[in-house]
Amino acid sequence: MSIFQITLIIAMVMLSICLLLTAIRFAIGPTLPDRVTAFDLFVANVIGIIVIYTELTHNEDFIDVAMILSLFGFLGSISFAFYIMRITK
Amino acid sequence: MEQSIDWVLVKEVISCFFILAGVVFMLIASIGLLRFPDFYIRMSAITKGSTLGLGLILLGMAIYFNQPGVLLKVLAIIGFTSITAPVAAHVIGRTAVQNRIPFWEKTDLEEFRAYLVKAHLEQHISHDKYLEEKAKKEKEMGDAAGDTV
Amino acid sequence: MKLLLLHIMLAAAVVYTYFQFPGARVPYTALSTTLLFAAVFLLFWLGSYFYRRSYFRKVPKLAYFIAFFLKELLVANLKIAYDIITPNYRLQPTVFALPLKASTDLEITLLANLIGLTPGTISLDVSDDRSTLYVHTLYLRHGDVEQLKLHIKNGFERRILELTA
Repeated sequence: MSIFQITLIIAMVMLSICLLLTAIRFAIGPTLPDRVTAFDLFVANVIGIIVIYTELTHNEDFIDVAMILSLFGFLGSISFAFYIMRITK
Repeated sequence: MEQSIDWVLVKEVISCFFILAGVVFMLIASIGLLRFPDFYIRMSAITKGSTLGLGLILLGMAIYFNQPGVLLKVLAIIGFTSITAPVAAHVIGRTAVQNRIPFWEKTDLEEFRAYLVKAHLEQHISHDKYLEEKAKKEKEMGDAAGDTV
Repeated sequence: MKLLLLHIMLAAAVVYTYFQFPGARVPYTALSTTLLFAAVFLLFWLGSYFYRRSYFRKVPKLAYFIAFFLKELLVANLKIAYDIITPNYRLQPTVFALPLKASTDLEITLLANLIGLTPGTISLDVSDDRSTLYVHTLYLRHGDVEQLKLHIKNGFERRILELTA
């Protein structure tokens, strides 16, 4: 196991801590838009984890997953925002 | 002598540097999400921190693989995130303003007051949802107390 | 704008066809492809001197603008990172109304997006008559709103107007 792989695993652990912190905000967030923002960051963190996993396994096919996820995260937050606007008007 | 440089090691070191920088930005953004006092500050701190962090991580990967196809896909992902992140932030922020999510008490709202009054005049008076609910509750409590007395 | 897109696509096509030939001397890696693409694009740009003078002048401005924007992005991100790590806030959140000189859809969209991408500022809404943009900011320059407005107007809006004109 080279230093390179150890560094990647450390990075992955740090991203997992990010996921945990984001999940805490998702749980306690006082308002609905707070949760939508937390969801946004959640998706970004998952994309980061996928990218580091790609580098760790040398399998380039996972990049497509990251690409699709980056588009779907945007769709998710936009539809949440419109939903919030709709239910309060 | 040039043959003795280990290019794989150089690539790995540069890639590691980029990835660690990106991950640190992501971690700082997550801590900011927990620490900051108000929704708008949180959002403005986070959306960009995560975009920059993700961009750095992806660049690190492109440097490591060193293939044109991977580079193209990475540039596509960076383009998508950096176009969609501000749009999402704008839409969520606008929704939050129209839903009367409260600002931090130290926020200077001087030039925004006119907009808030205009936007909420037909439905509400205060831009702070919770303050209004609290006032209503207190009023009900007062009414109840008045009834009993 | 259209010419820029056309040149980028043409340069990509040239690079792609070059690597299809089996006798290509250059190794097929990301670095060499990027350099080759830049060289071909530079040739197209120099060629435009003879038929589209305004485009020839705009491309360096675009490059300067991208560099300026990246610098701004990094500096502001570091500022926010410092504020998150240290225990006390130095925040002075303010919502201010930015009077817009930009009028078309493209310019307003670009300006709002770039303001949204710089850390510390979000565009909250555009007024109905499209004359003001409401911006939420975390830090003021030298403790003054007018300084920040001037910075955004000179830094972003003027350059966008120059580029899209």
